[in-house]
Amino acid sequence: MLAATLLLPGLAAVTAVRAEEPPEGVIAFKYGDYRDSQPGWDRIRVHSPQLYVLAPFADTWSIEGSVVSDSVSGATPRMHTSRTGATPAMSDHRSAEDVKITRYFHRAAISLGGAYSGENDYVSHAQSVEARWSTEDNNRTFLFGFGHSGDRIDNTNSGGSVEDQHRQTREWMAGVTQVLTPNDLVQVQLTRSLGRGFYSDPYKDFDERPDSRRSTTTLLRWNHHVEPRDATLRTSWRYYSDSFGIRAHTLSAEWMQRYGAWTVTPGARYHVQSAAWFYFDPVADAHGVPDQLATQLRFGSISGYHSADQRLAAFGAVTLSLKVAYEFANGTTADVKLETYRQSSHLKPGGGSPLLDPFRASFVQLGVSHKF
Amino acid sequence: MLSGCAGWGHVEAWEKGNLAKPSMRLDADPLDTRFTQHVYTSKEAASGGGGVGGGGCGCN
Amino acid sequence: MFFSHGISRRRVAAMLVLAPFAARAAERGAAAPDFTLPGPSGPVRLADFKGKTLYLDFWASWCVPCKQSFPWMNDMQAKYKDRGLRILGVNVDKNAADAEHFLERVPATFALAMDPAGDVPRSYGVKAMPTSVLIGPTGQVLEFHAGFSQAELAAREREIRQALKLS
Repeated sequence: MLAATLLLPGLAAVTAVRAEEPPEGVIAFKYGDYRDSQPGWDRIRVHSPQLYVLAPFADTWSIEGSVVSDSVSGATPRMHTSRTGATPAMSDHRSAEDVKITRYFHRAAISLGGAYSGENDYVSHAQSVEARWSTEDNNRTFLFGFGHSGDRIDNTNSGGSVEDQHRQTREWMAGVTQVLTPNDLVQVQLTRSLGRGFYSDPYKDFDERPDSRRSTTTLLRWNHHVEPRDATLRTSWRYYSDSFGIRAHTLSAEWMQRYGAWTVTPGARYHVQSAAWFYFDPVADAHGVPDQLATQLRFGSISGYHSADQRLAAFGAVTLSLKVAYEFANGTTADVKLETYRQSSHLKPGGGSPLLDPFRASFVQLGVSHKF
Repeated sequence: MLSGCAGWGHVEAWEKGNLAKPSMRLDADPLDTRFTQHVYTSKEAASGGGGVGGGGCGCN
Repeated sequence: MFFSHGISRRRVAAMLVLAPFAARAAERGAAAPDFTLPGPSGPVRLADFKGKTLYLDFWASWCVPCKQSFPWMNDMQAKYKDRGLRILGVNVDKNAADAEHFLERVPATFALAMDPAGDVPRSYGVKAMPTSVLIGPTGQVLEFHAGFSQAELAAREREIRQALKLS
């Protein structure tokens, strides 16, 4: 089970130029394919078709929604990155929907959103409200958002022992978008999240996590248009810290280059995080190789919180991406994006958690969208 | 020159042609953002900040 | 096309006329700031519209609501031309080719003028795109609207009818 999070629907979608008018309509379809691996074995494969629609209506309203239907197959390690005793290879299905309705006023807008995500051991319902308004010259836009989500975890259907566990999360967001020059737009967003309930991973051994999680996220974004090259440099920096002891920085940059109707966008992302305070390293044998039995003996009987989940370890991760899009004359765009991801203790300055195998993933997205 | 920037952060309405370009949008491709956010949320401990798609996910 | 020829002399003329108005916005009841701008068949002056009711619209190829405002303005011009309504669309694109490309897809049957330097919108205190100003026959500002929305169509037509002294 993956770490569940509440992400307020569509809080990022603000353009400083026209925060107050209903946007043009869009319908888009995307097919995503994800696979990951560790040295010696393939882990998970996900097929993910998605549909998105944004439609203005009644002059001052818009409705926006998306549907995704993931098919997941494969297995993940039960402890650290050890392959022995991985969860049994399974095939699972997840579907998620979200919808948002927005009412536009003079230089302001209010949105109400709802989202649902469900699979056989996990269901999540979320609601959110956001408001934004701009100064008279439209150079500054203020954003506020609040979201709530309720999750239910239960894997007794597949023979598991986690029955009817719950989790509630509340999230607050405040942000400002500022036009700096005719070619520069910046945004800063602060998000505070408070969650209570079940956080442990039912598919990992010795996984016992605190029953609350409080986090603060700061996000800075800067879009810079380079007129002589007809290109845009898009950059962002996110700092995340939470009560699990995780401290993470995520930096990303992409260069959107136009060549007539073509747009080519190379990009890179670097993520680095510290380990959760209750994360424990594997015990090594005489050859420096993780010894699963020794690790189980050492940690199987300690009280208090502990987890061997690789996702809570200290590591760095790099993504390289390339997107190519073509815009047809009738407002239809076709695009393909390739990304390759590598996660490793060695990618963290000073070294991350020891004895973790590097993790690789690659994902491809093929999309078509139409403006109306 | 009378026209042009009268100061940092003070951009006139008629100078916003480049800011209106799709490449300058903060959320230029909503499905791309949803997909990649979902991947990173499931592989790393940090999450969100930029907001997209509500609710969580529990897939393996 | 007709927007591509040199405009430097015209622009200097516009600047000199507008210099004292550079910082003031157009307010209802005040005199509309004068201007001289290049048009497809010669210069266009505010004085040319004396005695007529002028609907002055500032637009750009990149302004999304302009795709909807143009068909409506075409309708208004056709409907009230004989009653003394004149519509003038002032384009502020830096690149004339962008404006022409827009007009190919969204044609205008009303008068047009170009102001890539933005001196005229500055003198009118334009804060949003598009902005429209309704100017009476004696040159005074009657209405000033930032933005354009389908929800405002009926109200704007009422204002035009009122300015034309129609019921």
